[in-house]
Amino acid sequence: MVEQQAAEKDNSPARETTARWRESPLWRPFRPVAVGGGTGLTAMLFRFQSFFGLAVVFAAAVVFSPTRDGTILFLTSGNLFNVVRAVSEIGIVAVGMTFVILIGGIDLSVGAVVGLSAVGIAVLLVQNGVSVAVAVPVVLAVGAVFGLLQGLASVRFGIQAFIVTLAGLQIARGLARIWSGGQGVAISYGDGPNQAPVVFSLLGERTFGGVVPIPALFFLAVAALAVLFLRVSVFSRHLYAIGGNEKAAWLSGVPVNRVKVVIFGISGLLAALAGIIHAGQLNQGSPNDGAGYELDAIAAVVIGGTSLSGGRGSVIGTVTGALLLGVLNNILALNDIDSNIQLLIKGLVIIFAAGLQRLRPAR
Amino acid sequence: MRFRVRTAIALTVGLPLTLSAACGTTHENSGQGGQSGTHTACKGSGGHYLIGMSQANLAGEPYRQQMDDDIRAAAKGVPQFDVKFADAAADNVRQQNDVDNYLTQRIDLLIISPNEATPLTAVVKKAYDKGIPVLVLDRKVDGDSYTSFIGADNKQIGKQAGEFMADTVLPKGGKIVELKGLAGSTPAHERSDGFDEGIAGKSIQIVATADGDWLREKGQQQMDALLKAHPDIQAVYAENDEMAEGAYLAAQSVGRAGDIRFIGIDGLPIAAGGIKAVEAGRLAATFVYPTGGSEAIAAAKKILVDCQPVDKKQTLPTQLVTKDNAAAVYKANGGS
Amino acid sequence: MADEVPLVSMVGISKRYGGAQACAGVDFVVRAAKVHALLGENGAGKSTLMKILSGEVTDYEGQVAIAGEPVRFDGPAAAQRAGIAMIHQELDLVPNMSVADNVFLGREPRTRQGTLDRRRVTRQTRELLDRIGVALDPGLTVGDLRTGERQLVTIASALLRDPRVVIMDEPTSALSQPEVERLFQVINELRRDGVGVVYISHRMDEIGRIADHATVLRNGHVVREFDARSMSAAQAAEAMVGRPVQTMFRTDTESGDSDVGAEILRVRDLVVRPRRARSGRREPNGIMLTVRRGEIVGLTGLLGSGRTELLQTLFGAGSPGRWSGTVELDGRRIRPRGPRQALALGVAFVPEDRRVDGLALDHSIRANAVLSVLGRLSRFGVVSRRVEMRTTGESTRQLKVKSSSPREAVGGLSGGNQQKVLLGRMLLTRPKLLLLDEPTRGVDVGAKAEIYQLLGEIARAGVGVLMASSELTELVGVCDRVVVLRNGRTAGELSTRHSGEADLLAAAMGDMDALTDEGREKSHG
Repeated sequence: MVEQQAAEKDNSPARETTARWRESPLWRPFRPVAVGGGTGLTAMLFRFQSFFGLAVVFAAAVVFSPTRDGTILFLTSGNLFNVVRAVSEIGIVAVGMTFVILIGGIDLSVGAVVGLSAVGIAVLLVQNGVSVAVAVPVVLAVGAVFGLLQGLASVRFGIQAFIVTLAGLQIARGLARIWSGGQGVAISYGDGPNQAPVVFSLLGERTFGGVVPIPALFFLAVAALAVLFLRVSVFSRHLYAIGGNEKAAWLSGVPVNRVKVVIFGISGLLAALAGIIHAGQLNQGSPNDGAGYELDAIAAVVIGGTSLSGGRGSVIGTVTGALLLGVLNNILALNDIDSNIQLLIKGLVIIFAAGLQRLRPAR
Repeated sequence: MRFRVRTAIALTVGLPLTLSAACGTTHENSGQGGQSGTHTACKGSGGHYLIGMSQANLAGEPYRQQMDDDIRAAAKGVPQFDVKFADAAADNVRQQNDVDNYLTQRIDLLIISPNEATPLTAVVKKAYDKGIPVLVLDRKVDGDSYTSFIGADNKQIGKQAGEFMADTVLPKGGKIVELKGLAGSTPAHERSDGFDEGIAGKSIQIVATADGDWLREKGQQQMDALLKAHPDIQAVYAENDEMAEGAYLAAQSVGRAGDIRFIGIDGLPIAAGGIKAVEAGRLAATFVYPTGGSEAIAAAKKILVDCQPVDKKQTLPTQLVTKDNAAAVYKANGGS
Repeated sequence: MADEVPLVSMVGISKRYGGAQACAGVDFVVRAAKVHALLGENGAGKSTLMKILSGEVTDYEGQVAIAGEPVRFDGPAAAQRAGIAMIHQELDLVPNMSVADNVFLGREPRTRQGTLDRRRVTRQTRELLDRIGVALDPGLTVGDLRTGERQLVTIASALLRDPRVVIMDEPTSALSQPEVERLFQVINELRRDGVGVVYISHRMDEIGRIADHATVLRNGHVVREFDARSMSAAQAAEAMVGRPVQTMFRTDTESGDSDVGAEILRVRDLVVRPRRARSGRREPNGIMLTVRRGEIVGLTGLLGSGRTELLQTLFGAGSPGRWSGTVELDGRRIRPRGPRQALALGVAFVPEDRRVDGLALDHSIRANAVLSVLGRLSRFGVVSRRVEMRTTGESTRQLKVKSSSPREAVGGLSGGNQQKVLLGRMLLTRPKLLLLDEPTRGVDVGAKAEIYQLLGEIARAGVGVLMASSELTELVGVCDRVVVLRNGRTAGELSTRHSGEADLLAAAMGDMDALTDEGREKSHG
């Protein structure tokens, strides 16, 4: 506390960082931080924790990066943008997953919804000749409605989110196979029949200003909106309250069911957005696209310090969690670590991140 | 093993000869490389080269494992080469990232066996446009932004299988069933079309077809059903050895393994592969589907070390394996 | 007496949590066949001291000796083997298992075949429950029991071990008076059997009746030792809070019923037939009562008499099902479909178990305090953090919540301050009718007095208050009238000006003669 107050007086970033650093549970890992700090400080510390993890992995990446002609390959701008682009789809999905997990739920259907919407956008653009301005909103709506229906099923019949979305996963995959006829639908661009409008190819390898990949821009925009939304909206207070204590939230007049349904809708919507980007990236919509995305998204959320029991966590944490996984994937690949070993390392990182949560100041 | 090393040395020394004559490679568009015949990448025999090999999927696909092994073995014979391997685990996005990472590592040449054509076209083009020679193995990509495609002709193999079925297995004609690969995949389509061509005009009747998804257990399940519906079949054409083995197991369980003949494709030189199955008498024949691994390293050497152009397309020949030559082929292809 | 070796002696016990000193050189002794009361406000170090004794806290300084032998428990199991039984305030039962299975959890008897001896489990559980005077079916699922019943199950479970020392942490906080009486009989029996009992409670009247000796802790130090029989409540309270405590109860009751106004709540023949019956719940089954503006009406009755269920029903949080009879708020018939609608109508509710039903403990005071009025504090769905902080500040100031900052996690506050945050949340909704379920349960004596004062102020502001409580002193001291429930029905009504605790207790237990004429008239009129 003393250090924190000092930091408030002296606003130099270095002082502030030092102060936070000393307050960090990582610094004194086995001694609980005094309770006086409360949620504000705790939240700050734990937001900081995921940044810290990212910083460690980033530093390790720089150290272990292969070099060529004196250049640290990891740090080349092209590579860094590769990292961001590679996590963009998972990142967008993970933002929606963060909302769901914050209310103590889980959404296993997101990967399948990515596949469904990738197929959807490809079929609409290529086979049905629909314009981008119509196809994109339609596919987003499909994803959102799919999510809303899952939320309704969960609330109406009192079925756990895990079960409902496990079923949703199967249903979305089935719909994707039906919609696509069981095969990948290739997207080629042009004005002719069975060709998608050229505008849509912007989502592919194309970059903004020649450097920044478009998917990364979407990811950052979604994340920024989500952070702002969680910060200021009444809805977000309700969301955190449900995750913190659902019964108490209900007795306090929070429209618990409505909030839950909407959150599953948001998760579906963001999965659909990721699916559209996925199709743009691959020039194809295939019914098996997005397989396993739900697990990567959950991993990003957990590494970002959001509690699976709900009520605690942040989108900023999830963004850093996704980036951490991206940097890790990248540096392992750059060093030609065997892909089987990569899986082991990633698993260990997730366990480590989850373990850090246990060091949270006890009350 | 000793033999493999010798092959590698032979490849290194007498390369053009090995490719065109010894292996009987058919040349198309001879000397027409993508953007130019020779690459600026060529630094001659004094250079050192980093090669990235992006594999579509290793787990559960012994053919692709063999491809990586062949590349590894062949590259040992070229001291200037340092080959890195990445496995995309059947994930298009991951394979895109693998190639991107290779570009970050500034590889001198890319070998890729794409998971699917369309999704990987863009990233292959990106590498090619950067002036990096790209060798595409087994599966194609769209367009022509690559240096050379090296692969066998599935349709040709299917046709040979059909001819073998009609001329050797059932010369007096008869009823057969066909076990197809994964629906919608190009090789399944081509091996099927080629087979039809091979038996055209002969008295072979395909009484039923079923999808075996390239898998042994699926082949077995389908065969269980087919044997009930069509007890009078005399032979099975399976589009790969795994499904043929599965069909054999199904036939064996109803005591028909002795009177039904099985033909497969792929002929991998491994203990669980089709060549051994032919040698053991379970399969009547298989057709070697070459991985193109050693040919890819040969082509890479031609481009980087010898500063010579390579063909835009190299079609690899197949080889019929029967009980007579199984042991020899197994040895010749590096089986141990 | 002095040369007798005590059952437990703790010498120079110190324990620090981060910056907070929970215990600082505490000496504490438990003797055989004695009841030792341990007093102190929340955070005084009582629980820490007892967690050390029960083996839950292992890293402490100081000496613990059992019957003269120095020991250092490495966990609760070791302490249990040494004959120490702890009955927790937070009930550690497995909710989806039966009462009997919970009592025998971890000590399941085997038959000769090695299978679970179900018959013995059931029989022995019934015996134990009989011993503490509870008529509970051992086969009931614990999750279906009410808090008080669960409390009794934990006590039964502790007695199964035949312990030498029993630690009871606020055992009566969820019990109604007759059950408290039964518990006291059990404690007396234990004392006769030579067991040493440590009794932690906030209820001064109980300590005077049951304890032999009292130790008062404040800020981790032993501040006073009393002979419990001769100790006065005022003395003890003063030792606990460190300053004289003037008045426990609100001061305006004596001034008469001058500001009691129009009827705000009128319930007539309320019966709820739930769509799905849930065991352990006593739905309203013939409720008659009224609450007027500015009036504090008490609600009491035995465990399972339906107090909580009635309050939940009035708040729209009861079991869904068919209603008959009427509920009128300000003369209009209402039937709230849920808490949200009830709050909009002007009905507010503070639940019994604030940790389970009231607060998000991990979240800040601010987040908890404004939860019900976010709509009012926002524009276009965006909350103004400034307005929010100001509202929280006003609320916590008015309710005298002691905290370092509104950002502090509400779970870190003492029970009394948590209760005030919860009360503040409901008051921000500007209710006409405030429903309270055991508003001072687990609240220390200083905060209790503050809450009583607050209730007086709320009533004076014209709010009608309906308050369920099993603490008779509290009902007599705070309420204008007390409605007694039995089996989900209104059994009668007493005016606190004409009755004392004894009358109330008698009425709750079924003695109708205790009801005043006035009360009886009302309940039938």
